[in-house]
Amino acid sequence: MDQALLLRDMMLIRAFEAALVARPDHGFQLLSSGEEAVAVGLCAALNADDQLLSSGRAIGPALARGLDPGAVMAELLGRVAGPNRGKGGRGHLAQPSAGFFGAHAVVGGNLTIAAGVALAFQTQHRPGVVACVFGDGACGAGALHETLNIAALWTLPLLLVCDNNGLSVATPSAEALAPARLSDLAAPFGVPGITVDGMDVLAVRAAATGLVERARAGRGPAFLECRAERFSSHSTATRETRDAATMARARARCPIERLSGQLIEAGAIDAAGLAALRAEVDAEVARAIAFAEAAPFPDPAEALSDVG
Amino acid sequence: MSADAPAARVKLFFREAIARALREEMTRDERIILLGQDVGDFGGSYKEFVGLKAAFGRTRVRDMPVAEAAMVGLGVGAAAAGLRPLVSITYMDFLMLGLDPLVNYAAKARFKTGGQLTVPLVVKTTAGAKGQGVAHSQCVEAWLMSVPGLTVVAPSTAADAYGLLKSALRAPGPVLFVDHKRLFPTAGEVPADEVLVPFGQAAVRRAGEHVTIASHGYMVRVALEAADRLAGQGVSCEVIDLRSLAPLDLDTVAASAGRTGALLTLEEGQLTCGVGAEVAFRVRERYDTVKLARVGALPAPVSSNPVLEAACLPDAARVVAAVRRLLKS
Amino acid sequence: MFYALTVPGGVEEVEEVRVLEWHGQVGRVFAPGELVVELETHKALVEVRAGQAGVLRRILCAEGDWQAVGQPVALLSDSPEDPLPETADGLAALAVEFEVS
Repeated sequence: MDQALLLRDMMLIRAFEAALVARPDHGFQLLSSGEEAVAVGLCAALNADDQLLSSGRAIGPALARGLDPGAVMAELLGRVAGPNRGKGGRGHLAQPSAGFFGAHAVVGGNLTIAAGVALAFQTQHRPGVVACVFGDGACGAGALHETLNIAALWTLPLLLVCDNNGLSVATPSAEALAPARLSDLAAPFGVPGITVDGMDVLAVRAAATGLVERARAGRGPAFLECRAERFSSHSTATRETRDAATMARARARCPIERLSGQLIEAGAIDAAGLAALRAEVDAEVARAIAFAEAAPFPDPAEALSDVG
Repeated sequence: MSADAPAARVKLFFREAIARALREEMTRDERIILLGQDVGDFGGSYKEFVGLKAAFGRTRVRDMPVAEAAMVGLGVGAAAAGLRPLVSITYMDFLMLGLDPLVNYAAKARFKTGGQLTVPLVVKTTAGAKGQGVAHSQCVEAWLMSVPGLTVVAPSTAADAYGLLKSALRAPGPVLFVDHKRLFPTAGEVPADEVLVPFGQAAVRRAGEHVTIASHGYMVRVALEAADRLAGQGVSCEVIDLRSLAPLDLDTVAASAGRTGALLTLEEGQLTCGVGAEVAFRVRERYDTVKLARVGALPAPVSSNPVLEAACLPDAARVVAAVRRLLKS
Repeated sequence: MFYALTVPGGVEEVEEVRVLEWHGQVGRVFAPGELVVELETHKALVEVRAGQAGVLRRILCAEGDWQAVGQPVALLSDSPEDPLPETADGLAALAVEFEVS
């Protein structure tokens, strides 16, 4: 994929979320801002046969996977026009027909599910690979270890992507997790583990591509740790715990600024081109909001539809 | 075939009824796979899966490590992605380790995705006390019957194990199939031809006039034993086997209780928030003059100690005494 | 003298069995220790071996038939010429050894 497209995708996530939280009706959101390169770099390595699962921090993954921003905004704002008919919200955003098997809001709750999807692919000889994004917060959970074990044992076509932003709500990973390098968690299972700079979309894409192709070739699962920074607090309902200096250091690693700078330096884009990209993205976000705002809320009777 | 011709039946051990249902359905639908501990060459802890690996191969019959969260989660994900897994959880006590994927994902997947995903998963588990101790004895199906989106069934006979399991393996959503340790030593007549037992349909096991006993699982046999003894004392019991806890066939129980005027619920699980609490209250909502009583385990863990286990669990004598108290009240 | 080969008791929880396979036809002489019949329980196989010499004279339960513990599945006699009794009632039980696997 053209690097300018990677930049655009990251910019879309950033602008989308900025517009979302500016609204009084934004609801309970976990933002991907700062971590765009993880989702975008990973999705650049996936094709239409693959499935992506995510944690509750789903906006970046959903948009990076190519879901229509209007539909995503509608889901976040509780409208029937969302892919989940407004019933899942951000924490359960899903569009399997578009390769986004879905978000699940239980920390680590999607890991064994992802392995099950991979098992189905393998059993039915489908060409797809399953990627599951989760945070460092899920790395202390038994589910991760159970998933690594069975994925290794059965050589499942599964890529585990740890979006390590160093914090689990307010708890720094050093206080929650014994291993310093989270990709080391895969080693006891014989699963390859790689750690990359999660703020460098090209590094994420390169690593993900290699591991996805390896899984697609039937050589089994892998663990990709992407060290990233989140630019907002854990959620819109959580206060920020980091001081100004820490935040400044985090923002200095902005993946959008970084790629923009690289493209400018390489002569691949100029200031006007960047401005055009931003305008394009802003227009898309504006369309998304207009679409979502015009969409109706579900009928209360839908509380009882699709239950069982 | 004439309506009068009796259907051909074959007598099978309880485990064989399960194996037969699985064999038929796995032959019919190649999407069905079996995941569990010791289900392959070992054939299952109760030999209920004997022959399946030989017949269907190691891709479709897979032994799993002792990791119930992963067992259920894998089953859930595979079901959502197009297979029809049956996950065998040997002890219902350990189903608790798999409740996150079962309750938080499987039971909610269709709703939370607005209908985009369905989870045609069967979790089969064995409940009940039989000398194995506090963490190998529990009957907690009452906990699960209130989960929206989850079907819960509990056979008491080989025929119903066969028929309900077949229905479960064709169901569009997640089904929890709860059998019982004490059912495996039993044998029963099973239809020779394919028969599916529908969900939400109770069975009247014994017709009677003076009292309705509603039960499920192994306790149905205890109810029938109690009914035999009570018949000798001039008390006629109607014994209803619920078979399906969610959806619950209230109509059959309520109609019976409406006729007899007295309802005793019987379960091996706890009375608090138990199956009986739900059944009795729903019947009371229909008929406010029906006399109600519930019998269940003592509010204590069930020890492996035979004296203590026997003290905890309902038996025919206790049911007889409870019926007599109910009818006098 | 005639003997009834009855379903062995003493196997935990077993109240009835199904006949799996007869290891001989009517007329066969079984020496002590020889396998006469295999019975299936809900969880195991019971191999019933002759505890005394005897001639198999009548099979009461064919393969696939069910029988309760303590009830007869076959009649054996000391001699092949002993006339068959009317019923199995009152017959002595054949001495057997059985092994559960």
